[in-house]
Amino acid sequence: MGLSELLSTYGQLYLTGLVTTWWMTAVSFAFVMVLSVAITVMRISPLKPLRLVGDLYVQIFRNIPGVALLVIIVYALPNLRLVLDYRTCVIVTTILMGSAFGSENFMSGINTIGVGQIEAARSLGLTFRQIIQQIVIPQALRSAVLPMTNLLIAVMLTTALGSQVPMSPQELTGVVSYINTRSTGGILAFLIAALGYVGTAAVIGLAGNRLDKKVRILR
Amino acid sequence: MTMDTRDDVPVIELRHVEKHFGDLHVLRDINLKVSRGEVLVVIGPSGSGKSTMCRTINRLETIDSGEILIEGKPLPAEGRELAAMRAELGMVFQSFNLFAHKTILENVTLGPIDVLGMKREDAEKRAMELLARVGVAEQAAKVPAQLSGGQQQRVAIARSLAMNPKAMMFDEPTSALDPEMINEVLDVMVELARGGMTMVVVTHEMNFARRVADRVVFMADGQIVEEGAPDEFFDHPATQRARDFLDSIKGH
Amino acid sequence: MSTHGKPMSIRDALYEAPGPRTRRRMIIGTVLSLAAVAVGIALIVRQFYVTGQLAPRYWTFLGQATTWRYLFQGFRGTLAVALTAGVLSLILGLVLMLGRTSGIKPLSVACRVVTDFFRGVPSLLLIYFFFLVVPQYGIKLSSFWMITLPVMLAASGVLAEVLRAGVNAVPRGQVEAAMSLGMRPARIMFKIVLPQAIRFVIPSLISQLVVVVKDTTVAYVVSYPDLMQNARVLITNYDALVSMYFTVAVVYILLNFAINKLSAVIAERLGVKIIR
Repeated sequence: MGLSELLSTYGQLYLTGLVTTWWMTAVSFAFVMVLSVAITVMRISPLKPLRLVGDLYVQIFRNIPGVALLVIIVYALPNLRLVLDYRTCVIVTTILMGSAFGSENFMSGINTIGVGQIEAARSLGLTFRQIIQQIVIPQALRSAVLPMTNLLIAVMLTTALGSQVPMSPQELTGVVSYINTRSTGGILAFLIAALGYVGTAAVIGLAGNRLDKKVRILR
Repeated sequence: MTMDTRDDVPVIELRHVEKHFGDLHVLRDINLKVSRGEVLVVIGPSGSGKSTMCRTINRLETIDSGEILIEGKPLPAEGRELAAMRAELGMVFQSFNLFAHKTILENVTLGPIDVLGMKREDAEKRAMELLARVGVAEQAAKVPAQLSGGQQQRVAIARSLAMNPKAMMFDEPTSALDPEMINEVLDVMVELARGGMTMVVVTHEMNFARRVADRVVFMADGQIVEEGAPDEFFDHPATQRARDFLDSIKGH
Repeated sequence: MSTHGKPMSIRDALYEAPGPRTRRRMIIGTVLSLAAVAVGIALIVRQFYVTGQLAPRYWTFLGQATTWRYLFQGFRGTLAVALTAGVLSLILGLVLMLGRTSGIKPLSVACRVVTDFFRGVPSLLLIYFFFLVVPQYGIKLSSFWMITLPVMLAASGVLAEVLRAGVNAVPRGQVEAAMSLGMRPARIMFKIVLPQAIRFVIPSLISQLVVVVKDTTVAYVVSYPDLMQNARVLITNYDALVSMYFTVAVVYILLNFAINKLSAVIAERLGVKIIR
């Protein structure tokens, strides 16, 4: 199959696949950020039980393979009377895994601040809330930009799990699998999809680098 | 500045202060009074507890027993009361501890705006005056990492001064500096002392101690071993411990 | 910065030593959060119970040696793929890194493109390439290589970057000293820079093995008998889906946790940071 034939037959499918990958990535990432913050708050809270739950969450979801988590959500949870549609399953899998790494990024952002600055803020008479608002959060956010950029790319790659379940419309990897099982798309069929991923990753990386340059904290 | 000899309440008072780090007895029955306008220099070998003592005064370190009084009132244990008390005490650290993400100006205005509730313009005007006073006004728009250590430490002093503190603690303020920068920081401190600031200075700078201190406290093994006027102490140390220490630093 | 005692983590430094009021609040907060956690766990267990998933017939097979023997076979398959892919990706990653830092423009650009490509595509897409596309060109691969090659390629891009970070971490003075001795660039790279760079990144390389292990779990796509695939076979045999999947997930989590732990321990011993 040549490029023109491939595009005329499946062009629309590729486009829908790419857009589907994009919006699944965007939705997942938004939730990843919210959940990352929540998990991080638990992990730095002064209450031991919350810290423990937060740490456990991170250890579980950063170590579980995406496929293992997906099959649990798709096939095991319905047996526990929790039924989600396939796309939601993929997105939930992505969110759970992504937020574990997101929380790790925030934690290392917080770790770069240093005990000294906290003590200095305390000495000025800032309250705990003010220290968190003025010193901890701004620095943690700014030093997390680059790792979060990488996480956004990772989240996009994770949405390829969508190819393992029936979805309509399919995301990009599912599209490739679909095309190649129906006709011999050859290496070209694969490269078009790869280009979609690599191109998106490049744009995300570029944007992340620019933002990082703007907000990076000199040390 | 001559010492105020009025029978006033001491600005800072430590009574029978004890502290342990695990098995280590770091502060043993510390009793100390700092009067208004007095410059107290604390010296002693490393591990003598002098930094720890300095840090207990605004409760960066807690104590096991004893009392700490600020202008006769006990140092609060927590909450807003503690924060309010800390706002009245300046603290300068060995490693400057400027806020890395804020400009020099913002470092100095943060306390006045957020803690004292000053208007931004007023806080900035005052900050610029203070930065000029410590000689770094032209750096106001930069971030800490762009400044030399000496400049950063002078900003840290301005940051503390912006709160109009009743007293200032200096925890080895020149120990992290390259030799050529030590004097620019000490000069600012001398200036402050001359202006009547109440100061507790933990330092290894013996010349500074001799020149500026109203009183020198010598600590070893968590105890105050000896205290007195600087000339008295440096020329005729009463204890063997102090003599050994002074000899050891003369050696190099 | 306390002169004594333990190095304080920022997590603890956020909080002061509590006063009496704070201590009281902490006790109440701890009790309440403990209760909340307990309720959460109870609800999960209850859900297992009311749906009948705690019934012995779903769990007894875990006590049988045959189950574990079969799972262990799968586990060996997982390890075989992961280790082969790991070693090969290290070699390819090294080649890509050397090419990129060679200073030969076309080679450097090519290696950069390849590196970014493998880092930028999902490993699943690479697997479909070897599973669906490669056979179209008449190339017959065993299922082992159909899973190992894509996993290897996906990892090689990341490893190339990790190695490059290691090379960049070698102080410039080392290279200058070697040059002043009259060593040629290639010799400097292999004798001076690389040995140090690898020491810097050993923990990072180990932690990348986690990613490799995770990628192997799609082996069922090509019907290679890894842990996941064997678990699926057992599920059809025992009709114990929930318990089986949870068991396998725990095995993977523990394996990856162990790898991460190992990496962290070595990092601490070598005094280096883990690059991700």
